[in-house]
Amino acid sequence: MHSPEMPSFYAPLRPLLAKEIREVLGGRALWIMLLLLCPLVGYSFFQAVSLYGEASTAALQSPVLARSLSPLDGVLVPSFGAFYVAVTLLFPFVAIRVLGHEKESGALRLLVQLPYRSATLIAAKLAAVLAAWLLASLPVLSALAIWRALGGHMAAAETLNLLLGHLLYGALVGAIALFAAAVSESAATAAIVALAFTIGSWVLDFTVAGQPGVFAWISQMSLTQTLHVFEQGMFSVGLVLGIAVAIAGFAALAAIWLPPGVAPRTKLVRSFGCMAAATILFAAVSRIGLAADVTEDRRNSFSAADQRALAALAKPLMVTVHLAPEDPRYVDLGRNVLAKLGRALPDLSVRLAGARTLAAGSGDDRYGEIEYAYGGRRDVSRSTSPREILPLIYGLADVPVPTPAGADEYPGYPLAGDGYAALPWFFGGLPLAIGFAWWRTRRPPRIDPELIKQNKEDAHEDQ
Amino acid sequence: MDVASHEDAAETQDAGRPDPLLRVAGLTKRYGDQAALADISFDVQAGEVLGLIGPNGAGKTTLLEAVAGVLPADAGAIVSRGDRLPLARRREVMFYLPDGIQPYRDQPVARVLTFFAGVYRRSSGDVAGAVASLGLAPVLGKRVQSLSKGYNRRLLLALGLIAPHPLLLMDEPFDGFDLRQSRAIGGVLRQAAAKGRALVLAIHQLMDAQRVCDRFILLADGRVRGVGTLADLRARTGLPAANLEEVFLALT
Repeated sequence: MHSPEMPSFYAPLRPLLAKEIREVLGGRALWIMLLLLCPLVGYSFFQAVSLYGEASTAALQSPVLARSLSPLDGVLVPSFGAFYVAVTLLFPFVAIRVLGHEKESGALRLLVQLPYRSATLIAAKLAAVLAAWLLASLPVLSALAIWRALGGHMAAAETLNLLLGHLLYGALVGAIALFAAAVSESAATAAIVALAFTIGSWVLDFTVAGQPGVFAWISQMSLTQTLHVFEQGMFSVGLVLGIAVAIAGFAALAAIWLPPGVAPRTKLVRSFGCMAAATILFAAVSRIGLAADVTEDRRNSFSAADQRALAALAKPLMVTVHLAPEDPRYVDLGRNVLAKLGRALPDLSVRLAGARTLAAGSGDDRYGEIEYAYGGRRDVSRSTSPREILPLIYGLADVPVPTPAGADEYPGYPLAGDGYAALPWFFGGLPLAIGFAWWRTRRPPRIDPELIKQNKEDAHEDQ
Repeated sequence: MDVASHEDAAETQDAGRPDPLLRVAGLTKRYGDQAALADISFDVQAGEVLGLIGPNGAGKTTLLEAVAGVLPADAGAIVSRGDRLPLARRREVMFYLPDGIQPYRDQPVARVLTFFAGVYRRSSGDVAGAVASLGLAPVLGKRVQSLSKGYNRRLLLALGLIAPHPLLLMDEPFDGFDLRQSRAIGGVLRQAAAKGRALVLAIHQLMDAQRVCDRFILLADGRVRGVGTLADLRARTGLPAANLEEVFLALT
């Protein structure tokens, strides 16, 4: 035993991290989610590979058809889709348990007395949530391995970008769940709060996405919208930092609401400060336009020759669009031309001069026109295709239309076959491996002989 | 009364005496219009065992939690060795063991103990000492959720012994023990006090309290009805042969 002394405020992190990871592994929620993920991911992967195989059979006869076959769209995104659904609906329960379990058992009152700051405690819990996400991603990671084993193609940059997007999405859902657990008295309430964020995003997607004005701004708050950018093969520095700010913001709010000894009014004041800081940071990172198209087929960019020619246009290009925001032509123009121009041109301004609604625009003669102004010269087009618009811009700038190099063309990666070979793994091998791992975590630990040595010595003395 | 005036009053009252390990001054906690704690003040000296005595609902748990900083108080000051302890610094001086909790239910007992030992940089010998003194060896491999009430209480006490704080606050440390076990646990607590630690024990079993504690705070309806040793309280009630139960009934 020991004599009393003041404990050092700075305690080692390792025991805390080990405890949090053991806690998350000790609960059933993670293992049940893993078991549910096996058939979900397995069937999605099987369907994706089978459909890709059917499309590839026809494409093997035609190089032109083959060019449209990208494993990112055909296999990777659909396989990760099942994982995304599970992370949205099930992962909040896993993450809530990391804190909610301690709240319900009363252990939180011990935890907050340990020599760690609230921020450290929440950071350790977030690390455990990320470890749980990593474990939960094993089925989908195994799907990627099987795809490779089947002879499928994977481009490293777009695959890693997709993984990063899902990691950030998982961390964001985890941080929201921790915040929900910190502010709620029970795990059930926390689940409702967390699902309000995740399922609420779906509601936003279905109801206000594509709407003009403030609805467009609100729809950007959807968590799923953030993932779409990664699925489209874009790496956006502003978006990555924005999600990081959101994760840090929710984690900070969780840290504020964690200590039970702080008065609710104080917590509210601190929360407002935290949200104000997060808003300022959001505003700052949203101005970062740095983005890269990491897809192998360069779908988010013009051809390399066009990219070089556009990058050389030093003067500002002003585009005035006479379309309503919800007009499908505006959506096409934005995706096919304006977004790509924004990343290629040094200086681009886009002004929406059309009617605020599609119905209001029907009486306007200029409705549908897109006006381009460069270096004092103007031209108008109604096209939303880069094949017509790029020559128009080159004409305004008085530069020759670049000749695309043949080497730029994406070959496509057809793979005829089906995913039947993967089914025994997802419906047999993997669930058994998960069950075995679960059983391993439930085994009693080996007791350090040192802990019972003194007991034995005392027993000997008694005899 | 504000926090500063509580501290001033306490300093004036005990001018010349060494600063106590813990001074609680004017602690007040309200739930709406109801005062759960009304202007509670007391001192705790190093090495003493202070019993917080009162019936259910007297405010014992509320008082311990407010002192430990796991429940917000409306007014009052917590001072240690003359330094005011804000919420974030309470854990440097005291460790509170709540009643009725099962810490880390899914984990084996040995892991819970080694986790606390790791956090506080305690040796295996320290853990082994706590295990031996509290008889935890038979359940080290069991999960906390499968422990009996008594063993769960022993585990909590072991965490308190592993924690290095000079002051331990314990809510109902004898709950779940029979008479022999209570006596044995009382002996363990007295040993801890003999090494210089101060213990504040919230106890509703007056026999247990009388056996283990040096001094008592009698609490009823969130108010202090008496503070002192049994002899002090006997003198105050004019009952020279009274036991703690009779003194308590006389004062509350």
